[in-house]
Amino acid sequence: MATGDGPRPPDRPSSRAGYLPWPGRRWPRARTAAIGVALAGYAWAAGAAEPFSTTSLVFVLIPGVVLAAIAVAWPPQRIPAPEKLDITGMFYWVIAVAALFEWEASAWKDNSLPWHPSLTDLINPLLGPHLVKSAAILLWILVGWALVRR
Amino acid sequence: MIMSTRAVTIVGFVLVIAAMFLLEFLARRPGSRIPTVGQWLGYLMRPRIGRVLVLLGWWWLGWHYFAR
Repeated sequence: MATGDGPRPPDRPSSRAGYLPWPGRRWPRARTAAIGVALAGYAWAAGAAEPFSTTSLVFVLIPGVVLAAIAVAWPPQRIPAPEKLDITGMFYWVIAVAALFEWEASAWKDNSLPWHPSLTDLINPLLGPHLVKSAAILLWILVGWALVRR
Repeated sequence: MIMSTRAVTIVGFVLVIAAMFLLEFLARRPGSRIPTVGQWLGYLMRPRIGRVLVLLGWWWLGWHYFAR
């Protein structure tokens, strides 16, 4: 990992070439609202799908395929990634992520749901209500879009 | 008071996830040397293979929690 000790670069949108629906024009608010409503409707429908069903699998496959297609064929304007990361600052993240994986692995290896629940065992009941699951799916799709822009 | 191992496990998850939120908060302060999640993920996604793996990880999370 290339790292440096300088302050991190600002998090600004790139001026590099990228796909814009209407170059030189602003993205219309009506279209943004329409996409938002469509995504919310999609998440609501996906949230109603029965787990372990073909329907639920298709509902998860579609955003993956669509975002992959956008990333490959119509890449949006990307937010430039930093050239290097501060090694000390990044180390805090490495510790936190490693701790999460270690804790999850220990719970999973113990294989005792009542006593050592994994993160999945704890989150799944929270996703029970339709509204919560739909909101989580919408958030997941938005995170996917944010990743495509990175 | 003696905590059950279940409570210890849950507290462990809460602490680690709270630490991540704290790191993100600290990273967003002006002049912070800690990168934000977006910055270090963007750094990992600079090479094509990193981009593919991060997006696959994102999709796997959706499959794991919403299709199963």
